[in-house]
Amino acid sequence: MSVVVIGLSHRSCPVEVRERFAFAEARIPEALQALRGAGIAEEAVIVSTCNRVEIYAATALEPGPAFAALKQFLLYALAEPQSLHHLFKVAGGLDSMVLGETEILGQLKKAYDLALQHRHTGARLNKAFQRAFNTAKQIRTDTNIQRGSISIASVAVELAEKIFTSLGEHEVLVLGAGDTSEKTARALMSRGARGVVFANRSPERAQLLAAELGGRAVPFEDWPAQFDRVDIAISSTSAPHFILDPPRLEPLMKQRRHRPLLLIDIAVPRDIDPAVNYLENVYLYNVDDLQTIADDYLKLRHDEIRRCEQIISEKVMVLLTPQNLRRQ
Amino acid sequence: MILIYAGRVNWFTDRHWFLLAVIFYGLSTIYSVSLWRRGFRKDNRVNYLLLLAGFGCHVTAMGLRGFSLQQCPVNNLFEATMFVGWAIVTAYLVIGLVSGLRFLGAFVSPLMFFLGVFALMPALDPPHGPKPEFTGAGVSLHAAFILQAYGAFGLAAVAGLMYLSQEHNLKFHKLRAFASLLPPIQRLEIISARLLRNGFILLTVGLVIGVIVIGQHKDGYFTDVKVIWSLLVWALYLGLLVMRWKFAQGGRRFAWGAVAAFAFVLLTFWGTNLLSPLHHHP
Repeated sequence: MSVVVIGLSHRSCPVEVRERFAFAEARIPEALQALRGAGIAEEAVIVSTCNRVEIYAATALEPGPAFAALKQFLLYALAEPQSLHHLFKVAGGLDSMVLGETEILGQLKKAYDLALQHRHTGARLNKAFQRAFNTAKQIRTDTNIQRGSISIASVAVELAEKIFTSLGEHEVLVLGAGDTSEKTARALMSRGARGVVFANRSPERAQLLAAELGGRAVPFEDWPAQFDRVDIAISSTSAPHFILDPPRLEPLMKQRRHRPLLLIDIAVPRDIDPAVNYLENVYLYNVDDLQTIADDYLKLRHDEIRRCEQIISEKVMVLLTPQNLRRQ
Repeated sequence: MILIYAGRVNWFTDRHWFLLAVIFYGLSTIYSVSLWRRGFRKDNRVNYLLLLAGFGCHVTAMGLRGFSLQQCPVNNLFEATMFVGWAIVTAYLVIGLVSGLRFLGAFVSPLMFFLGVFALMPALDPPHGPKPEFTGAGVSLHAAFILQAYGAFGLAAVAGLMYLSQEHNLKFHKLRAFASLLPPIQRLEIISARLLRNGFILLTVGLVIGVIVIGQHKDGYFTDVKVIWSLLVWALYLGLLVMRWKFAQGGRRFAWGAVAAFAFVLLTFWGTNLLSPLHHHP
């Protein structure tokens, strides 16, 4: 009996195809029962998430006939040891759309628990999945595969946390309510920022966002008056020129008694003169700066893939040793 | 000094114990270099244990010297530097009980290593001649308060250095700023300011005790080089604190102030001690 996997993911097909193969959670036990009842698998686990649908099966059939039987559901098929290698990679986030993300591990655990509860797993898959979970943990601890923020909003949050002791003491000003600035404000609020103020040329949009995030809206022309209260400002207006430059910011910094000020300029063309970064206690990041940091983190994660693969290969090799197989 | 127990000479003296402590601080410094390169992510426990081992030898050295003198061992520059170092390591070991702050050892160990090497220079520890003119609990208290103040100023300078390094990385958008485990710069500034304030209080108390215990019984006390220097240092730190609280001169300027003021103390402490008849017993 060997473990095989057949599946499709964001790597092999678009969402339009994936959604057609997805299993509703309530239907999974029934599908597992059908797989086993038809004699295709002795044991089985179905993983169905927004990015992948996979069936892991321990089967007595030869890989060829097994795949033929399983292919009616899904598109890619792997036999041992690649099937186990794939499982370990999925658990470690190496096969995810966002490299190194951890959400898939939770989804995989949930899928396994569901199969376990309904007694569709046995010694082979129990051991394979538990080893996969342990290996994912080891990868997370021993490598940098999950390190750092790789979206503009999360880099901005990390940046704020490197400057301010606690976000709970700081208010955020959003100038112009674009999509990225809204996401960034949401991320800051979810990390405990004290409040958010929206200043937009269209007051209705500002009021809508303020109501949604529990903040307040102010008329656009009043934004300089907010600078003695806020410590983080996100700007994404469509102004064709700088709306903030050193002569304008210097008196505001005096009013603030030179408290640190984080400026995030997401606008293109830029809203904030880069020269303000030379003022003391002012930290200016534009969209390219944030993207560069996100890309550096992603590169750091990509550099770790080989180390992760090595760990996985060793663990799979151990799992497939004759002693281990005999015990199963 | 060589100790004699029950008629036999103990060749392992207090200076040897201190040398052993400096070796541990040196090992910790080497280890810290690798921690700096890796962004303080891991293995800070090893550094903490190395500093703890150094601290054990350090305390033994101070204890042996103190028992042999029957007073707080702060009578020459070797002893004074040893005392300042003790205050710094003690503060670190307490702070380092919180695992998230243990990485501070990477900054403390180089400081301790260089202080230790400096203290071990033979000229700083001349054999004690006749008992100093002023001894007793009051003098010990005076020296202990002042040296603890310098310990606090040393740690404030370390926090200031961390601030400057992290602030530079944040200003120039370096990935290092994100990868490092350093606390937020706002917290570093608060830590530095509090250490400076506490050091200033300790220095003030130490100087007042000095005036009460020695100043009233000694002509020319207020014209002594070390006393004038100490008042200058006191005024320097007062200036830094006033600038921060009254004129909002925090951030980078304050951090530079904390580092520069302590560098001044380190560079002039020895010289003024040698020039002061009250503090130097040839």
